[in-house]
Amino acid sequence: MLYDRHVGRVYALTLHILSNPMLAEEATQDAFLKLWSRARLYLSERGPFLLWLLTIARRTALDRLRLEGRRPMLSDSKDPEDSWDIIPDLDTVPEESRWRSLYFAVQSLQPDHRQVIELAYYQGMSQREIAEVLSWPLGTVKTRLRAAMEHLREKWYEE
Amino acid sequence: MARDEHFILRENIPAYALGALDAEDVRALEAHLPTCESCRTELADYRAISDNLLTALPPRQPAPALRKRLQSRLPSARPAQKPAQPRFVWSFSRLAVGAALLLLFVMNLLSFAQVRELQRQQVDVQRQLQNNQAALAMLSYPGTQALPIEAANISGTVLLDRDRNSVALVAWNLPELAEEQIYQIWLIDANGKWIGAGLFYPQADLPYTTQPVFPSQNISSFAGICVTIEPEGGSERPTGPRIFRVDF
Repeated sequence: MLYDRHVGRVYALTLHILSNPMLAEEATQDAFLKLWSRARLYLSERGPFLLWLLTIARRTALDRLRLEGRRPMLSDSKDPEDSWDIIPDLDTVPEESRWRSLYFAVQSLQPDHRQVIELAYYQGMSQREIAEVLSWPLGTVKTRLRAAMEHLREKWYEE
Repeated sequence: MARDEHFILRENIPAYALGALDAEDVRALEAHLPTCESCRTELADYRAISDNLLTALPPRQPAPALRKRLQSRLPSARPAQKPAQPRFVWSFSRLAVGAALLLLFVMNLLSFAQVRELQRQQVDVQRQLQNNQAALAMLSYPGTQALPIEAANISGTVLLDRDRNSVALVAWNLPELAEEQIYQIWLIDANGKWIGAGLFYPQADLPYTTQPVFPSQNISSFAGICVTIEPEGGSERPTGPRIFRVDF
């Protein structure tokens, strides 16, 4: 079943964004309900199904985050369950291997660079909002975000 | 576009791919992208990163109850409702449509009957016209004999053209026929034998009737003509009342 196959990744994403299991479950449920109602809109030529589902889940969770008016997570503490230990063999499970590689690339970023990525992508904030929240100059945010993305790009394409 | 401006816009591509670019910078970059292939290529690279950030998280399993909650909210999980059987329901609009169809059907039937009646009348008029023209033609022929019909309340003429072996009746005030009756013409030979020579109805709406007669043999072999009322379809020999007789 579609749910059993993908719920782990959907819930991981919503939990990462919302940092609250109850809200994350509600966002996960909403994401699957939207998937059911919009299934006919999926176009395979525009990308893998999983990415489409996770895009729906990210938007749903970010909407919920704004609705709740929660302050963004600024600490760098990490949920011990929210981690991978190894990168599987690229030849046997290429997609899984690349996702884990990207995960490790994010983890290898300097903390302030990783924080910018977290706030921009997983908290849905603009560079100006990040600058306000972190009390950094806007130029610093732009520089760090660009540097973080360049690092991820290098890691992503070096394989 | 100035080279410096290109580099400024290009530096915004990573933030744009993450959805973190502020609105005014988004507008400037989106105006630039269609004109710059290298920026589009770079954006595709960064988009791949941002797309895969969605999956760059270790899977986590939610509480098992979430599955049941979701199932209860999905349309397919609800008890299947029997598809409603089409059921005829009387309503004013349906009655009106039915009545209109019935009326249309009846009017069609009436129209059909009227057309048939008009066709029949047209045939009768045409036949009568031909009869009248034949009688007139016979009257104009010098050799035609006009023999008067002498009977109670009935008058008229038997036109006899021996040269052309033809006879015609012009009879006034023929009595009306009852249902399933018809006038039958008989020619009477020298031995007194009656031979049927045609059937006719009186001409509708006119006081006179013109009727041609077609003898089966030379008219000179007959001694007279007679008209009787017979059952519809005619008779082998006269059975009804004689209306008139004219001897040649």
